[in-house]
Amino acid sequence: MATCSTGRASAGTTFCADLIAIGRLALLAMVMLAATSPAAGAADNTLSALDEQCLGCHSVEGMKMKLANGETLSLHVDGAAFAKSVHNLIGCAVCHRDVTLENHPPLKKKIASLRENSLALAKICSTCHAAIFKQYEGSIHAVLQRAGSPGAPICTDCHAPHAVMSKSAYDAASGAPCSGCHDPVFKAYAGSVHGEAALGCANCHRAHDVNPATTGEQLKNACLGCHEGTLSSHKAWLPNAERHFDAVSCPACHSPTAKRKVDLRLYDAVAKERVVEKAGVPQFESRARSADAKGLGLDALALQSLLLEFNREGAPKQTTLRGRLEVTTGAEAHQLAPKAKAIQDCATCHRRGADPFQSVTVSIVGADGRPVRYDAQQGVLNSMISVDSVGGFYAIGGTRIEVLDMLFVLALLIGIAVPVGHLTLTWLFRRTAKRIGGREDS
Amino acid sequence: MPRIYVHPLPVRIWHWINALAVLALIVTGIQIRYVGLIDLMSFRTSVVLHNWVGFVLIGNFFVWLLFYLLSDKIRVYHPELSPTKHFRESFRQLWYYGYGIFKGEPNPHHVSAYHKFNAMQSMAYQVVMLLLVPLQFYTGVLLWDVKRFEAMIDVLGGVRVVDTAHVLIFIFFTAFIFVHPYLASLGHTRTAHYKAMITGYEEVEEEPPGGGAGSDKAGSER
Repeated sequence: MATCSTGRASAGTTFCADLIAIGRLALLAMVMLAATSPAAGAADNTLSALDEQCLGCHSVEGMKMKLANGETLSLHVDGAAFAKSVHNLIGCAVCHRDVTLENHPPLKKKIASLRENSLALAKICSTCHAAIFKQYEGSIHAVLQRAGSPGAPICTDCHAPHAVMSKSAYDAASGAPCSGCHDPVFKAYAGSVHGEAALGCANCHRAHDVNPATTGEQLKNACLGCHEGTLSSHKAWLPNAERHFDAVSCPACHSPTAKRKVDLRLYDAVAKERVVEKAGVPQFESRARSADAKGLGLDALALQSLLLEFNREGAPKQTTLRGRLEVTTGAEAHQLAPKAKAIQDCATCHRRGADPFQSVTVSIVGADGRPVRYDAQQGVLNSMISVDSVGGFYAIGGTRIEVLDMLFVLALLIGIAVPVGHLTLTWLFRRTAKRIGGREDS
Repeated sequence: MPRIYVHPLPVRIWHWINALAVLALIVTGIQIRYVGLIDLMSFRTSVVLHNWVGFVLIGNFFVWLLFYLLSDKIRVYHPELSPTKHFRESFRQLWYYGYGIFKGEPNPHHVSAYHKFNAMQSMAYQVVMLLLVPLQFYTGVLLWDVKRFEAMIDVLGGVRVVDTAHVLIFIFFTAFIFVHPYLASLGHTRTAHYKAMITGYEEVEEEPPGGGAGSDKAGSER
């Protein structure tokens, strides 16, 4: 049962009764005035008479409400902050339209939890901010929220509704609200070249249509969106620059201290997009576990059998693997260094035993849009079988096939042995051998 | 010793550019593939050189191709249509290099302007020039700009498939680059064939009584 109390009131019930009486009167006036002058007082950061009446109660610090699940909902509104906020334009009644004389103060209203309250408010937000809400609904945040994740942010988790300023939800110094959930990433980012320039998270990740960082092209496009001419400047020194842009993530070179790895992504060669796990019937992990009988990570044969499983349906070889070199953690992806410190030594990757190829994962896009990964053994990149299974990824030197190295040595030996052997035989049979070079010898 | 003109100027120019370019491609190719084991130049320099020399070689190939297409010398590449005769002559040539030469037997092949390749050379050069070299050019160009040729590479099975084909042919040419100059030293003198590829004239040994296989005087010194 919801209760009403304040930190200051010693006799909460009496105080609440007073609030109820005042509230009903205020509400009556508020509803009447709202129809005629909804934005009164907004232009000069002053509050309308109606809003002042609401704040008559809600400006009391410590005013809160006990919810059904035991959580406490603060009912306090900072009048000064609200007056400065963009929502001052619309006033209290537009968002709190469910508040009526009969139900306010809402002693009868049951709110299950803070989360339920936020979800209800999000619907109200969407009535005015439909376009932004639509963007949000396609985001990973919304996907997680719909999947029941209690931590997935909704409108009021990022925006303080009574102090909302135009495009000001983000605080560059603290990284709030993003850092509330992504603190390790923000700490890494704060020391980066972008963090020092006080750029906000949304500059790259966008504010509302946030997608998983390692799926899609959103982040790469964000980099290229600001850094115009990047491709041509890379082409000036980097052979196959466009291929590198496809197969190597920006932080893999521009976060020079990061640990790198290869992610082999299941790719639909017909649809020309990454394979997405079917909602409700996830197969990737179970198939990978089944192929990886010893649990040591997929080896070359296991990887090939996993691909065969995915190719049982559809066109032959429809599912392939496309590799991408990326950094190991999200925090490392944010430690971008100044351009001069970026890796420019090709030998960092293009040599046998290079670090990036010591760690390999295989991934699919999960039903929620985030990648689902399974470990593979390093040898999958150097096996002869990789010609069939990992045809879409090859880094010269770093992932070269060992059997070809043996063939090369054999060819060298044959190339040297044939002339040396023949010369030796010619010398051994010099008495009878055809006098090759005889005139020169004489 | 009589001399016959077997290597026209365009062929000699093509041959020596080819020789230098193939050597350069093998050296840079080894450097590209084996960074850390070999340190002749930086990876990037070797890639850039490899690309440039590759295109020079492709251009040079067309010098060879156009010359033979536009002249009657193309007869030197005409295949022996009788498999029996071809394999018999190939075996005789192999027998000579592997046994007869040590016994002092004469070379069963007699060079002429329109018949300068022995049976083994004839087969080997057709495979090399009409299959392996074009295939190496093709895979090399695909690897030169993987993004530009992405669709074609995907049809072939991916960049690793194309690279593996390129490396396999590279491995063959690595062995070839040792064996070819040695076989060229098995003329009547060690340097006879080398000199011929510079001057164009091949000295031919006196015709044994009754003539030899493939003897053709049409191209005798003019």
